[in-house]
Amino acid sequence: MPVLTHLEAIRQGLWEEMERDPSVFLIGEDIAAYGGAFKVTQGLLEKFGADRVIDAPISESAIVGAAVGAALMGMRPVVEMQFMDFIACGFDQIVNMAAKIHYRWGPAVPMVIRGPSGAGVHGGPYHSQSNEMWFVHTPGLKVVVPATAYDAKGLIKAAIRDENPVIFYEHKFLYRRIKDETPEEDYVVPIGKARIAREGTDISVITYGAMVWTALEAAQELEKERISLEVIDLRSLLPYDEEAVLESVRKCNKVMLLHEDTRIGGFAGELAAVIAEKAFEDLDGPVVRITAPDTPVPFSPPLEEYFLPNARKVAEAARRLAVY
Amino acid sequence: MKASKDKRTTEKPLTGARRNGGSFNPGSIARPPDGPMTPLSNRGTAQPDSRTLERMLYYLKLTREAEYRIERVLYRQGKIVGGVYVGRGQEAMAVGATIQLREGDVTFPSHRDFAAWLIRGFTLRQIFLNWLGRGDGPSRGRENTGHFGDVKRGLIPIISPLGDTCPLACGTALVQKQRGQGHVTLVHFGEGTTSRGDVHEAMNMAAVWKLPVIFICNNNAYAYSTPTERQYAVKDLSVRGPAYGMPGVTIDGNDVLAVYEAVRRAIARARVGNGPTFIECKTFRMTGHSAHDGAEYVPKRQFEVWAQKDPVARLEKLLFAKKLLTPKAVREMEEAIAEALDDAAAFAESSALPEGAEATEGVYCGPKCWWQSRLHDD
Amino acid sequence: MGTNVIMPQMGESIAEGTVTKWLKKVGDKVERDEPLFEISTDKVDAEIPSPAAGILTRILVSENQTVEVNAVVAEIDGEGSALGAAIAAPQPARPSPAVSADVSPPAAGGVEPDAPSPASSALAEQKIRSSPLVRRLAKENDVNLAKVRGTGLGGRISKQDILGHIAERSAGTPPAASPPVPTAPAPKVFTGATEVVPMTPMRKQIAEHMTLSRRTSAHVTTVFEVEMTRVYDTRAQQAAEFERRNGLKLTFTPFFVRAVVEAIKQYPIFNASVDGDNVVYKRDMNVGIAVALDSGLIVPVVKRADEKNFLGVARAVTDLAERARAKRLSFDEVQGGTFTITNPGVFGSLFGTPIINQPQVAILGVGVIEKRAVVRGDAIAIRPMAYLALSFDHRVIDGAVADQFMVKVKAVLENWTEPVL
Repeated sequence: MPVLTHLEAIRQGLWEEMERDPSVFLIGEDIAAYGGAFKVTQGLLEKFGADRVIDAPISESAIVGAAVGAALMGMRPVVEMQFMDFIACGFDQIVNMAAKIHYRWGPAVPMVIRGPSGAGVHGGPYHSQSNEMWFVHTPGLKVVVPATAYDAKGLIKAAIRDENPVIFYEHKFLYRRIKDETPEEDYVVPIGKARIAREGTDISVITYGAMVWTALEAAQELEKERISLEVIDLRSLLPYDEEAVLESVRKCNKVMLLHEDTRIGGFAGELAAVIAEKAFEDLDGPVVRITAPDTPVPFSPPLEEYFLPNARKVAEAARRLAVY
Repeated sequence: MKASKDKRTTEKPLTGARRNGGSFNPGSIARPPDGPMTPLSNRGTAQPDSRTLERMLYYLKLTREAEYRIERVLYRQGKIVGGVYVGRGQEAMAVGATIQLREGDVTFPSHRDFAAWLIRGFTLRQIFLNWLGRGDGPSRGRENTGHFGDVKRGLIPIISPLGDTCPLACGTALVQKQRGQGHVTLVHFGEGTTSRGDVHEAMNMAAVWKLPVIFICNNNAYAYSTPTERQYAVKDLSVRGPAYGMPGVTIDGNDVLAVYEAVRRAIARARVGNGPTFIECKTFRMTGHSAHDGAEYVPKRQFEVWAQKDPVARLEKLLFAKKLLTPKAVREMEEAIAEALDDAAAFAESSALPEGAEATEGVYCGPKCWWQSRLHDD
Repeated sequence: MGTNVIMPQMGESIAEGTVTKWLKKVGDKVERDEPLFEISTDKVDAEIPSPAAGILTRILVSENQTVEVNAVVAEIDGEGSALGAAIAAPQPARPSPAVSADVSPPAAGGVEPDAPSPASSALAEQKIRSSPLVRRLAKENDVNLAKVRGTGLGGRISKQDILGHIAERSAGTPPAASPPVPTAPAPKVFTGATEVVPMTPMRKQIAEHMTLSRRTSAHVTTVFEVEMTRVYDTRAQQAAEFERRNGLKLTFTPFFVRAVVEAIKQYPIFNASVDGDNVVYKRDMNVGIAVALDSGLIVPVVKRADEKNFLGVARAVTDLAERARAKRLSFDEVQGGTFTITNPGVFGSLFGTPIINQPQVAILGVGVIEKRAVVRGDAIAIRPMAYLALSFDHRVIDGAVADQFMVKVKAVLENWTEPVL
């Protein structure tokens, strides 16, 4: 099986879907001739032509809005945000228009908005955000956050085939750092299904995106101390796999919620609430959150390192919870 | 405030308007009081045929009467709840523009373009079901007013952040252009909406990609309570067309024939791939922003001046003058309209409200789509 | 006004203690200094005497519950008896208003209720720290949480604690409680392949202490064989008279204490500890004696052993060992040791390699004393012999010094001259 980077897996997924379905097209800034700021769409213009790989003016709202219009006309647009930080410029079209059309009067709005998010590359406040919760709080959208190359391909394909607007978060730190075996054939990873990234018995770590790798690193370290972490990779946040979360909590009875996003209103808060509602009597310790602090993402390396959760912080929290 | 409200309570619909119709100069484009217009073209105008003229009058009258029924009757009876926005006095834009569309074309009407729904084939029953929040209405009670559409009928509705439809119009036009069948997209919005970034982004995008979009600005002088001089600093918004790289024209929005002609030319350009046009239609909102707005901020004299330019009366007078219509035919038309409205209102009122628990249905589209089970009135 | 009974501070570093057993019920009459309850802390298990005479009117802390030092655990109604040392303790941080209203006072006729009032026990139940999971498991398995010993943070009953309790109960053994006297553990009846039994606080303390020591000191053990003829004979000849005069059995332990004291006098490094880059020599020779209990191990200390004669040492050793087994040691009596003697020989061991009792630097293990064939001159002789194993901290004590120390111990024992009577 070929080994692909996270980025190559996304490109392959786009390529396959464009080959499979002529209604799929790409639209974004610098995606055609230049191949995208991170080169995710490199080579697609040559293969599929300028009608299907469209360079747009710097108008995030118009790009998203045009994609909605095209989707209503039966197309399956895939929008690239050069950085997910800039999605704020198209926010209104996403949350007020795309998300609500189906509920309001019935038509399908099959479209994907994808792009790089996340910190760890010294990108500063506007090239580092994990702003997925803006959209998780918007009924009508789906929000997907893959961690592996395999899932990145399977989920981008599932997102394109979905009849609803899907916000697809890629983590720029993973683009070229994560490689795994990714089949060349056609497959999809269903949206809304979590994955057990590592089985364990003592503490369940529920996470997503780049933090899956952080959790796995901590789990490996703690193995030496006979603390067994189970790592759940949510893969999708909206809808998310509530049953997988509860199952893991019921198994381990202690749970840590980990994300790169900031703390207040982060996904961990939602998970904590659901765990309290539905697995209260399965808890043998407090629900622990490990998140970034409630600040913008700072630029200078020591500040950024302080800001980001890492394996050491996860392991420290796990040790404390283990002896609770 | 109370006085003005009372005044409107006693205000008469169609017949009253016709009585106060004033002079109408057929074939000319009346100059609105607040400025000159860019000439449409050096060539003469192309008159619609008599059948189209009659249809236009019908839709103008039907719009006037239906909105009267909604705003002055059902709303005041408490049968319509929430916000009520009508286009009294500015019916000509939707009628003059929409009536030219073909199957495959798309329109994005504003909330003051009631006629667009009628002309695109929605029945009065469907429309009233929606206004009354009924479970069998086109939005099944999820949306109020005219916030509903149908892609098959080529009508996509606004959302309350106005101007959001302009980028969508670029999207539908992009697909139309790529499909190469000569279809076009119309998008209506008010002059207040032109201050929004979405309108700017969309006009720029449409010009860059030469999209078959016609941007129609219904300039009705007030954005809620804000007059034009507090909204923009140019005399005529049409100057913005050339600024983006498309033609821009300013016309009399109360002259349905002027609207028809301007839109006809823009559509002709668009269908052959020459790109978008911006049309500013000067008109006047003969009501408050909504049914709960007394519009005290509008000088009374402005209402009086614009009452003389009533678009319904103007077309009716023209048709009489051209002997295309008899008073008897008009009477019959009015009777049919009243009957249809009585039927639609009674039908909607007797129709069931949605079950509360339906609120959670149909958030997502999927293989077992809740919307597929909907009951159409058509 | 009644007298508050508080959780005593059993050592400066102790912040909390666990009530392991109430020896009186609500309504019982207690005498001042009469044992009232037992506690377990990180340092010591102890029986706590009543601070006053009177009626035990409230129990605020149930068995197996851990509270902060100085927390009020019970209240005794004075009844006009001597209240000399009534302790004015601060009220608990969260007073429970329901309690005072629901206290059952002694009945008018002086009839004492023989069970805690429902309100009191309900209150006690509430104060058990557990978790939602533990409470559900308790309900499902009909477990009284007051009977489960918590090993989690602050004595919290954890998932492992209750699972262990359930497993133990289903295996037919009674729930873990303080065993009265050391007995051989009952053979386990297994229901599954494994059974999880939570550690007692003492067990955990020992475990932590031992691993800490292993990590801290550079352990080396040296073993000497010592002929015990003189000691053996002395004991055999004097034991009866010693017991008659002093009311004490004459054991071997005081001989070893005395020998160690003599050796320390010569090699003071064995009465020291390590503090960073410093070696701290101690003036007092406080010799700890390891006492095996059913539930673990405790090391009472013979304070200033160098200032005691043989009888003084013997009396201290006997007294401490007895009270250790009865859980009546005070905190001071297990503190401040500077050297430790352990005695695996009582169970037949030839010698062990003991772990140093931190922060000390050496420990002497005494093997079994038995007659063996030894070579004397060119002949084989039969002599009472013992192996003495000294574990020492090589960070501060080199092998040569350790062996010289042992030579001294050996010499004292082999040439015993000190009168014991």
